[in-house]
Amino acid sequence: MSQTIAEKILAAKAGVDRVTPGQIVDAYPDLVMSHTATWRSVSVMKKIGAKRLYDPDRLAIVLDHISPAKTEKYAADQQTSRNFAREYGIEKFYDVDAGIAHLVLMEHGHVKPGDLIVGTDSHCTIYGALGALGSGIGYTEVASVWVTGKLWMKVPTTIKLTLGGRFAGGVSAKDLMLHLIGTLGADGCGYKSVEFYGSAMPQMSISERMTMANLAMEMGSKCVFIPPDEKTSEWLLPRLKDPASYKPVLADKDAVYEQSIDVDLTRLTPMIACPHQVENTKPVTEVMGTRIDQAFLGSCANGKYEDLVVAADILTGRKIDPRVRLIVTPGSKEIMLEAMRTGVLATLIESGALVTNPGCGACAGDGGTMADGEVSLSTANRNFVGRMGSNKSSIYLSSPATVAASALKGAIADPREFY
Amino acid sequence: MQDTISGRIYKFGDNVNSDIIIAGRYLIYIDPVKLAEHAFEMLGDGFPAKLRSFDILVAGRNFGCGSAREQASTAIQGLGIKAVVAASFARTFYRNAINDGLPIFECPAVYDAVSEGDEISIDLAGGLISHAGNDYEFARIPESVAKILALGGLANYLKSTLETDSAPR
Amino acid sequence: MNRSMNMVEKILARKSGQKSVTPGDVVLTDIDLMLMHDLSANFVMKVFENEMEGATIADPSKLVFAFDHNFAPATRDAAEALAAVRRFTAKHKVKNLFDSGCGSIHHVVMEAGLVTPGMIVVGCDSHTPIYGALGAFSTGIGNNSMASLGFTQNKGWFKVPETIKIHFHGTAMKAVQPRDISQFLVGKLGEDGAIYKALEYAGPYIESLDVNDRALFPLQAIDVGGKCGFVNPDEKTWRHVQQLLGSRPGVPPFELFSNDADCRYADIVDIDVSRIEPQVACPPTVGNVHPIDAAVGTPINVAEAGGSTGGRLSDIRTLARCFASRRVHAGVRLQVVPASRDIYLAALKEGLFETLHIAGANIFPPSAGSNQAFNMGALAEDEVMISTQARNFPGRNGHPKARHFLASALSVAASALTGKITDPRTLEER
Repeated sequence: MSQTIAEKILAAKAGVDRVTPGQIVDAYPDLVMSHTATWRSVSVMKKIGAKRLYDPDRLAIVLDHISPAKTEKYAADQQTSRNFAREYGIEKFYDVDAGIAHLVLMEHGHVKPGDLIVGTDSHCTIYGALGALGSGIGYTEVASVWVTGKLWMKVPTTIKLTLGGRFAGGVSAKDLMLHLIGTLGADGCGYKSVEFYGSAMPQMSISERMTMANLAMEMGSKCVFIPPDEKTSEWLLPRLKDPASYKPVLADKDAVYEQSIDVDLTRLTPMIACPHQVENTKPVTEVMGTRIDQAFLGSCANGKYEDLVVAADILTGRKIDPRVRLIVTPGSKEIMLEAMRTGVLATLIESGALVTNPGCGACAGDGGTMADGEVSLSTANRNFVGRMGSNKSSIYLSSPATVAASALKGAIADPREFY
Repeated sequence: MQDTISGRIYKFGDNVNSDIIIAGRYLIYIDPVKLAEHAFEMLGDGFPAKLRSFDILVAGRNFGCGSAREQASTAIQGLGIKAVVAASFARTFYRNAINDGLPIFECPAVYDAVSEGDEISIDLAGGLISHAGNDYEFARIPESVAKILALGGLANYLKSTLETDSAPR
Repeated sequence: MNRSMNMVEKILARKSGQKSVTPGDVVLTDIDLMLMHDLSANFVMKVFENEMEGATIADPSKLVFAFDHNFAPATRDAAEALAAVRRFTAKHKVKNLFDSGCGSIHHVVMEAGLVTPGMIVVGCDSHTPIYGALGAFSTGIGNNSMASLGFTQNKGWFKVPETIKIHFHGTAMKAVQPRDISQFLVGKLGEDGAIYKALEYAGPYIESLDVNDRALFPLQAIDVGGKCGFVNPDEKTWRHVQQLLGSRPGVPPFELFSNDADCRYADIVDIDVSRIEPQVACPPTVGNVHPIDAAVGTPINVAEAGGSTGGRLSDIRTLARCFASRRVHAGVRLQVVPASRDIYLAALKEGLFETLHIAGANIFPPSAGSNQAFNMGALAEDEVMISTQARNFPGRNGHPKARHFLASALSVAASALTGKITDPRTLEER
């Protein structure tokens, strides 16, 4: 009794009854994912002379960061990853056309509540949207998990976040998270787990929960949980190979939390993370009118279908400012297909946007590179110096609604005027 | 691993993120030498060369925050940096440094005390960092994890366990 | 009495203010349109700004810039290059700037209704001759000529070329596309087969094609060393141009020049298209053209239909027809690159992209696609690509040892289906 979600999952994966915060356990992840970085883990495996995988079925590989290759080196590295997947019979292999790893793996039912998932990407925290414990690690450690099946993990304390009220028109989960990151700081949840509760949660769509779990990384969280409910099962059950494997892990009623924070969504306004730190947040009203050269709608934070719809609704029948380049990168093939079918893609293009193939795109510097002095407004999750090109360029982060409104005006704008 | 690590320090502030340490476009490399050519480049063209003249980095809170890129610690090693002392580390950098065999020490007091160019000395066994006649305790890395660092990183550690596993009984 | 002239000679005469010209004459003509894409623009701008201080652009409305190789710049250098062009166009009040995502330059220019018959169109791009399908004289020129004479005086000098007429007749076999016929010609004449000459594509076969398909021929004039290529304007040309001009306001009056009945040619080549099989240009060069049999069975990693040479609506329809209820072969990455924004929208509307997407294709923004691998299209050493691209030289698409075969959209589709280079005639009829 009295265990948090992280404690329960780590205990289960370490094969013990219970754990306490601070304790170090050897845990066996259900899934170890790697993306475009896979070739590096392959080279580590070669270096240590290991030939056998602990369990090929636990590996997932998605080539998402640089898709497709634009230099010989990227092409060669991608071949290394493909060859590895083929050689070891890795079924959960998705090539450069699939989209962003996290979205693809969730869409294909490879993530379920109670899973422990590690991978070569810090935004593995996103799996918490489906009640799984997701945490990022380096490529050497991924190779280690491939071979040994396990890794050491320190049991985190947990912060309880309770959300009440409801978003005003034009305000969304991205704004909530930017508000939290700005308030708590980039290491405000450092090494900790975060669990979300409150009257606002049942209405939160799966897409919004993904945004929340994704951005939680930017306050240093080790992992994040939105406890599974009806919305979770409705979204996930049709995608699972074995529906009987759906077994939500919930915190005990008397679980012990290090800290409790309450947020009233009603009081939130559209937020912007200003250059060059995610915690450098301000209400949009304070930076309105800042000219932008480029706008990016995409990334595992906000490249989902619902995010595209939010933008399309604002852009319908309108044209973006001719001085702005609006790049839209659907998060996955599935998302792009739905956008094609419902006319969302056509709406975005007609407004003047450039729609790319699915993938990480400009967030990770794959396209959308900026020259000196240029300014981007992006729905991604990081705005560090030089991430999108020149170290003399600037990145502001915001919600899809704010990006759409700003692309229309040619400058950072308040999306609430469209609601 | 050595008993003491000492040398001149370069001081950073809080929240030094992984994009600053090594930009995404250089993740095509895993070789510390190549990575070091571009380490901290975002701070200015001369930075990689400048940092080579220091031995230890001292930073504020949340050093290495952001991406899980392992090359952040590899790049620092490539510069010839012997250790990183910080008020706190982002968790992915912490893990990656250990896995790469880069000695790291959590010690907020040292961050407050030092200035660029100062000499410090880290006593690994004793758990102390000396600076200007003062000793400061650093937070110990758990024993089970410290042995990875002691062997020079996870790859070495794994290699040795694999050899043990396949050794004739 | 004036000598009989063909379309090119007539245009050169008119634009140089003369009654007639003869091959070999060097003439100074007006220039109506100057095109630069994102790779050539900066070179031209550098010449203009560094070597011609104080000069002004005579008529900014005659300049066109299009960003097509970079639809989303992948490097800081590329971003700087585009930013420099934007600054230049703003400074010199050039309105015709087609930014990233508009499409491949020549399609963008045609769809914008910027080219009318009788014009002289020059571009810092070797595929500029394409406008010969619209009754214009168009050719590639160098950065210096563009920046100096072109920008400052809207003039250019040209040596009047001799003309080779290719007379195409017969009916093409099933599954043989205009691209195959055009590539066959390249193979037949050779890469130096028509140096400095104008090529006239004529005959009942050419007349039977729509203007978009005719355009594939002058597009490849450069591959045989030609200065320009054209199709003698006819009713189809006229109607197509009217469609392109659409409701565009302020179109200057134009004249449709066509050949005099008895104009003379340096050579006339006769081609019976009914005997031509699907063709493929094998590495390492565009002139290494063979019947596709020579390459059939080669496993491929990437297949691409896109850009100015294969991203037209007709090409996307070809692919969609092939892949209705079928899947792209497991080991193949099929890349589809529409040539313009309008084509992208039309393909969406017709459900073509949905079909291709479900089949496993990857849809890219309107652009030049894998051309020179700026945003996509880099191959590893042992990889093989078949595409509708214009060039396959080593190193152009990643590793110098990677192999790149050029073919028609239908051959690309067939190969993406089977995973190997495939003769489209063996494909089940759809």
